[in-house]
Amino acid sequence: MEKTFEKVRNIGISAHIDSGKTTLTERILFYTKRIHAIHDVKGKDGIGATMDSMELEKERGITIASAATYCEWQDHEINIIDTPGHVDFTIEVERALKVLDGAILVLCSVGGVQSQSITVDQQMKRYKVPCLAFINKCDRNGANPSRVIEQLKNKLGHNAVAMQIPIGLEADFEGVVDLVSMKAVYFDGINGENIRVEDIPESLLSKAVGKREELIDVASMFSDELMEAALEDNVTDELLISAVRRGTIAREITPVFIGSAYKNKGIQPILDAVTNLLPCPSEIENHALDMSNNEAEVILSNDSQKPLVAYAFKIEEGQYGQLTYVRVYQGTLAKGDTIFNIRTGKKVKVGRVARMHANQMEDLGKISAGYIGALFGIDCASGDTFVAKDINLTITSMFIPEPVISLAIIPEDSTAEVNMSKALNRFSKEDPTFRTFVSKETGDTIISGMGELHLEVYVERMRREYNAKITIGTPTVSYRETIMRLAEFNYTHKKQTGGAGQFGRVAGYMEPVIEEEFVFENKITGGAIPTQFIPACEKGFRKCLEKGPKMEFPVTGLKIVITDGQSHSVDSSEMAFQAAARGAFLEGYAKAKPVIHEPIMKVVVETPTEYQGAVMGSLNQRRGIILASQDEGYMSVIEAQVPLAEMFGYSTVLRSLTQGKAQFTMEFYIYKQVPNSIAEELEKKSAVKKKNYV
Amino acid sequence: MLKKELIFRNPLRLMGHKTEDILQSGGFGAVLARAGLGKTAILVQLAIDSLLRNRNVLHISLDDPVKKVCLWYEEVFRNIADQYNIRQTEQLWEAIVSNRLIMTFRVDSFSVPKLEERLTDLIEQNIFLPQVILIDGLPFDKDIRKPLTELKRLVESRFMHTWFTVRTHRHDEYGSDGIPASLLHLSDLFDVIIKLQPEGKKIHVKSLKGGPDACDYPELLLDPSTMLVKG
Repeated sequence: MEKTFEKVRNIGISAHIDSGKTTLTERILFYTKRIHAIHDVKGKDGIGATMDSMELEKERGITIASAATYCEWQDHEINIIDTPGHVDFTIEVERALKVLDGAILVLCSVGGVQSQSITVDQQMKRYKVPCLAFINKCDRNGANPSRVIEQLKNKLGHNAVAMQIPIGLEADFEGVVDLVSMKAVYFDGINGENIRVEDIPESLLSKAVGKREELIDVASMFSDELMEAALEDNVTDELLISAVRRGTIAREITPVFIGSAYKNKGIQPILDAVTNLLPCPSEIENHALDMSNNEAEVILSNDSQKPLVAYAFKIEEGQYGQLTYVRVYQGTLAKGDTIFNIRTGKKVKVGRVARMHANQMEDLGKISAGYIGALFGIDCASGDTFVAKDINLTITSMFIPEPVISLAIIPEDSTAEVNMSKALNRFSKEDPTFRTFVSKETGDTIISGMGELHLEVYVERMRREYNAKITIGTPTVSYRETIMRLAEFNYTHKKQTGGAGQFGRVAGYMEPVIEEEFVFENKITGGAIPTQFIPACEKGFRKCLEKGPKMEFPVTGLKIVITDGQSHSVDSSEMAFQAAARGAFLEGYAKAKPVIHEPIMKVVVETPTEYQGAVMGSLNQRRGIILASQDEGYMSVIEAQVPLAEMFGYSTVLRSLTQGKAQFTMEFYIYKQVPNSIAEELEKKSAVKKKNYV
Repeated sequence: MLKKELIFRNPLRLMGHKTEDILQSGGFGAVLARAGLGKTAILVQLAIDSLLRNRNVLHISLDDPVKKVCLWYEEVFRNIADQYNIRQTEQLWEAIVSNRLIMTFRVDSFSVPKLEERLTDLIEQNIFLPQVILIDGLPFDKDIRKPLTELKRLVESRFMHTWFTVRTHRHDEYGSDGIPASLLHLSDLFDVIIKLQPEGKKIHVKSLKGGPDACDYPELLLDPSTMLVKG
């Protein structure tokens, strides 16, 4: 039974890896009675957290896919997308945030604001998602929620305000003082399900009064009524919550809650906060692009009676077939409806409509505007927009980064080949950052993606979910070639082998460009090359870019200017000028100081300060440039730029260097020239490869 | 060529300093001002000038996080490029950034032995060999003569020189040479001291110690819109 708009919350749970977001989700599902027992992420019971529905996720203790689920709390319907925390899977986080109206940012009370929290926070800003912060793991040694609140302010620029203060910390963490009701809240029972509300302990009273004043100060900026009430010392709970809500929805306040999901403390108050402080679908403005009006932005109405606009934010191959998670922005999506996929223009008949609870499902007749649900048997890719007939709107397409790493995969037998092909087809539909193609030279299937772990996870999934027996090659970096200086060319292609000959001369120069991949400019005057052959020249040059003459890597950052040429009334043809352009390219390229560029990653390592020197050394050994180190007492954060080619296997190295206490994230930063010594090595390898291939 | 064009007139060279680095090995320099007048901007201009001359710069901030320090550099570099109408600075920027290392510490946990430990890590592992150290945010209102003396010994032994920012206060008392009382007992450790002094809507850059005679150089101002020194 769908509830009214005001009682619906579409939220995400985002955080740095290992901050405990899956544990938090598990507890939320328990308290909302969606599950009847608690299983830990790395639990000894072998069941694993409910939201980590993939076997692999259970084993690794990380959340890879955004499993969607819903629950009910205080008569509100909460749809939750559990988002992954590793930077390699950022596309998942982005997709999730796009369809959410609010989020819980989970932070570790010991680790504080970590590198991935910064990335996730930037994503939340980009999609203007209001958020609450939950400082988890207050039972851990070194827990310091006040420091985390300061970091939220200083590092992320949030107007963070405490809604609670802890009663005890670390092993003595007992509960929280609610600064709105000014009561102490304890969580009794084996699973913390019994809430006990008492007076604030004497020792915490003055601190609580001070913190409540701070909260009122901050909140009163969003409510004149509250400001007046504060002056008259007559602040009610409702006034305070309503002001904090206004600030939160405007992204001007980040209310901060504390607890320990693992110890079952502080979860029910965060659920109350989701219903009280985060927006309902109608309070968020969603936009689409009008394809028939030059992609002008239009505001979607959230009205269930209007024509349908829905967004497929995730595709999964589940036990029931292909599952497409959708968010309906406008109109209603009902079983039996005929809808249109804007990208393909194809008509689609809606079969089953359901909502998911991790890997279990519940049939629904329809999904109304503002809701999240799942469709079965719909052929589409993630990021597709579905609309009603005669509607030409698309939800803004997301920026999709180019893959930086590739890996050859070889099936062991024909069955494996069929299974592998099924898996690849599915994965590349699910994840636009995951690509696959067949190498023309070796005939191998190549997969490419955003990092080593990204590809590793897909290889594992192929093996487990599709039973595809495959062997993998060494990961290869996507190198590129470019030129360093201007060089001229003047090449005549002449062939006379009986019958019609071939003749074309192309002259001009090539030079490096920074912002473009390729620029072609025709400066020929007087028809030295007839106009009809100019496109053939461009085509000839473009073909040369696919495989650079130096090392057969793609050529980028190049401008070709043709200034002169010659044709023959009988022997010139498109083919002749394409061949002349190829010859001209090779002539110029050899003189233009060609170099190899490699992807450089931005690497952020968080390590206990005692290992800082060792970690810096390890990055330095990998040709890394250390850019900064931030000393935060117990922990240090090191930022560096390191060539991707040097980062293979770094997680193992880092683990052994720091006794497993450090972690790192990396993302693509820039392409830079490979040092000469490395370029020579690459050239040698390429020569050997060519020889073997021949 | 671009680099040469961009080796702009070092704010202190405008004051008449002849040597490229202004400070000798082991030398200390200080930029004094009240909060918000542009001490960090001057420090960053000195850093960029050194970076453009292929010097390795270690920037230590006790006030700001790494991200904010980076923003200072980007802003000052962009303003310099704009001022001299230089385009396509991306490659140069990438090149000079690799000569810069930013370290941030919490002010209460920063100490000279800790810095020495970090420097040793960097130097012995051949990670980064700083030639110029900038320290932004060191609290001069505490008794820091001893750690400063230790630091001077350290940078001397490593052939480096160091610039500091010193925050002054409205209620500070000043000596006859214009040096605030809080720095007077430390002024013997410093070779160059300059001060940013607001007068009306202008911010003057004045040399208090170590500069040539005032009559030999033009009056310098800090442009509040770009935070760059102008003659």
